[in-house]
Amino acid sequence: MRGHGDLEAAVGAAALCALLTLVLPFEPLRMLLAAPLTLFLPGYAITAAIFARNRIERSRFLLFSVGLSLAVLALGALVLNYGPGGIRAWSWALLLFLVVLGCCRGAALRRPRGAGAPLSWSPPRVSGGQAALVAGGGLAAIAAIVLAFTPLAATNATGFTEMWIQPLPGDKGVRLGIGSAERDDSSYRLVVNFGGAREVTRRIELEPGQRQVLALGESAAASSLVPVPVTATLFKEDGPEPDQPFRQVSTWLGPTEDAG
Amino acid sequence: MPPEAGGITADAATFKAMEAGSAQRKRGRPRPEIGHLAPLILSSGVGLLLCAVANALSRATLTPAMPFYWAGILLLAVPIFYRLTSEQASARERLTLVCTLGLGLYLVKVFRDAPLFTFSDELIHAFNANQIADHNHLFRDNPILTATPYYPGLEGAASALMKLTGVSAYGAGLVLIGAARLVLVASLFLLFQRVSGSARIAGLGVAIYAGNFNFLYWGAQFSYESLSLPLLLLVMMALAEREAAPRQALRTWGAPVVLAMMAIVVTHHLTSYAVAGLLVGLSLAYWYVRRTWAPPNPWPFAIFGILLAAFWLFVAASATVGYLSPVLSDAFAAIGNTIGGSDEPRGLFQGGGSSVAPTPLLARAVALAAVVALAAGLPFGLRVLWHRYRRQPFALLFGLAAVAFFATLVLRLAPAAWETANRASEFLFIGLAFVLACACVEALRHWSRDRRTRPLIAATIGLVLVGGAISGWPWDSQLARPLRASAAAGTISSPPLALAQWAEGLPGGRFAASTADAGLLLDPGGKMAIAGRSPDVEDILDEEALAGWMVPLLRRNNIRYVAVDRREVSSDSLRGYYFSRRDRDEALRPPSVSAKFNEIPGVARVYTNGPITVFDLGAPR
Repeated sequence: MRGHGDLEAAVGAAALCALLTLVLPFEPLRMLLAAPLTLFLPGYAITAAIFARNRIERSRFLLFSVGLSLAVLALGALVLNYGPGGIRAWSWALLLFLVVLGCCRGAALRRPRGAGAPLSWSPPRVSGGQAALVAGGGLAAIAAIVLAFTPLAATNATGFTEMWIQPLPGDKGVRLGIGSAERDDSSYRLVVNFGGAREVTRRIELEPGQRQVLALGESAAASSLVPVPVTATLFKEDGPEPDQPFRQVSTWLGPTEDAG
Repeated sequence: MPPEAGGITADAATFKAMEAGSAQRKRGRPRPEIGHLAPLILSSGVGLLLCAVANALSRATLTPAMPFYWAGILLLAVPIFYRLTSEQASARERLTLVCTLGLGLYLVKVFRDAPLFTFSDELIHAFNANQIADHNHLFRDNPILTATPYYPGLEGAASALMKLTGVSAYGAGLVLIGAARLVLVASLFLLFQRVSGSARIAGLGVAIYAGNFNFLYWGAQFSYESLSLPLLLLVMMALAEREAAPRQALRTWGAPVVLAMMAIVVTHHLTSYAVAGLLVGLSLAYWYVRRTWAPPNPWPFAIFGILLAAFWLFVAASATVGYLSPVLSDAFAAIGNTIGGSDEPRGLFQGGGSSVAPTPLLARAVALAAVVALAAGLPFGLRVLWHRYRRQPFALLFGLAAVAFFATLVLRLAPAAWETANRASEFLFIGLAFVLACACVEALRHWSRDRRTRPLIAATIGLVLVGGAISGWPWDSQLARPLRASAAAGTISSPPLALAQWAEGLPGGRFAASTADAGLLLDPGGKMAIAGRSPDVEDILDEEALAGWMVPLLRRNNIRYVAVDRREVSSDSLRGYYFSRRDRDEALRPPSVSAKFNEIPGVARVYTNGPITVFDLGAPR
């Protein structure tokens, strides 16, 4: 590849991106490095190899670089599926690097000696006013993206309370979760009944968006010879009917029987 | 070929001359100017911001948001359309403008849904992508659309980004479809430029194509067709370039065609058949024009496309036959029934059923006016096509596709044929866009001194864009709805999303759920969830009493959890994911649809959030 600066750069960039995406810890940084590795360099290398002798215009070269990279990704998963280890980060990095290396090598062999890079770029001439307009457009687009990804208060959305129950490991009790997606602060009364033998009551205050998880032990259930039903009832004390059950969940502790 | 067509391949003999030119350019060529791009980038940015504000208002359940939204889309697009009508803009500027347009309109879709997928197909494909990432292999089961894992091109590509960077399927999908969008508009531009020899026709052609019914939303989703259609256009562009290439360079152009075709075949069934059909049509068009099967007639690619699609269908993806055949046979039956009078024709603008507010009269008028504008331009475009391009096989194919597009509009009146017509329109609109761009440029030439011509054409394309968006996506679903909302102690999720987030923490177990809930249980819930009529989960969830066949059916299908949703909208794969609103009545199913499951001996009621309750049938006690 000596003498073909663009091909050397492509292979070097592919090696660097492949290596760094595997070792760096930060997701956004890895995305910045993976984007050229996945969406540009394989297509660039393939296009350079295909059109080593029959040069094509820059716009077409760029289009093939992205388009054929997408094709490589679509087909690459199929190749990796039958390879050792399947589809993994290292296998993707290796495959993409090998595609770039192999095609750049092929391009270097086929390209006439002294031929320049298929893509050259000179920055456009931009006046101060034009730069300000472009920057304004860019800032507006960035503001739009930030706004789109920011959760907002949905004033007229109907709030709700969720509740769930799960036996603790070994059936030594239950784990109960209560989450408030109500519009205002809420107060609840929780009553948990263990097979009619024991009742536990708790008062819970939750802000909108807050969750509380309780672990309530019941050692007798683990050694019981019959299944013990556990029922948890939630009363919303600041609701219109504070004495009526608001939510109810249930589960069983103890041995399993054939049923249903 | 006029110089503005560009893209001519050079053989070895001309290579030296090109290099000499390149060296000269390096020495003395003035740096390119950005022309009118700067103000257009500003207007696009502000247009995007308006769209984001409209979606934010809608998510915050505040009104009115619609005026901001349409103003944003028009501000984003119409100045670009106006510039594309200009004679002065360079090919490079036009290409940059259509890329800005394609990416900008893609972001409009992104703003509607961020930061989660909300289209039913997206949830299915995101589930497949997660399955690949979790299990390191392709072809895992999908409980809702069984054919999708056998076309793993999109999800395989997403797995590369997911594995390498750790991003979610949403993040990977966003980047991938964005790149695919760029390929789509750039391929279309270069294809039209090569066929017409005019960058002006090419730019306007892409602008008109953005008005196809599926461009704004359906075609921008994380779904296999959103990747395969750009690849199809890449194939077409490469074939058009191949036609113009010197004889000794023909083989060279075959390589990208073959590679892209292979990628299409493993990505999407319908597009792989469309490629094969397109290549057969193109081969016949070549023969019709040149009376020869010799190169550059692409018949070998047609054979290759047919064999490849058939191989994949019968060897790897035989489940597709069972998936597609009812859709197509129902469509044909519906056409017959509608023509015969045994079925009522499907009403227009009735995508949402009786519970959804009808599309406003003005919006209907805009949508119909857009179709009228398309139809009005067709004869003029066909006339230009016949006079100027009838020796061009691609142009002939575009002319036929343009006429066929209007035939698919008629199919939309047959209820079961609507979907088939809708899918076909995305492909046929390519031809229509070319034909109408020819008509536009002819009008611009004919009335070049009339100052009203350019604004009128830009405004008409704006009408086509807005009309297409209204026709292609229900009016009430154009803008975002509240899926997540900020609250005092963090972010709260809608009831079905809260269910999915709870289910995410479960170690395993298959769910039976209504359509919208099942979608979110797939992604982000990551759970196997079945919905619909096969098996008949729908009746199990909707009936008020427990019938004898229900529990055995659930057991046979290894269902552990039954998620009963009393909201009627939960059956709606478009509207069922969101918060209900305090200022609107919500239709609820009777409490007995949920209470009937309490009768099952040993059942546990493990989750509830009001409208949704989950029963655990597993680990019977």
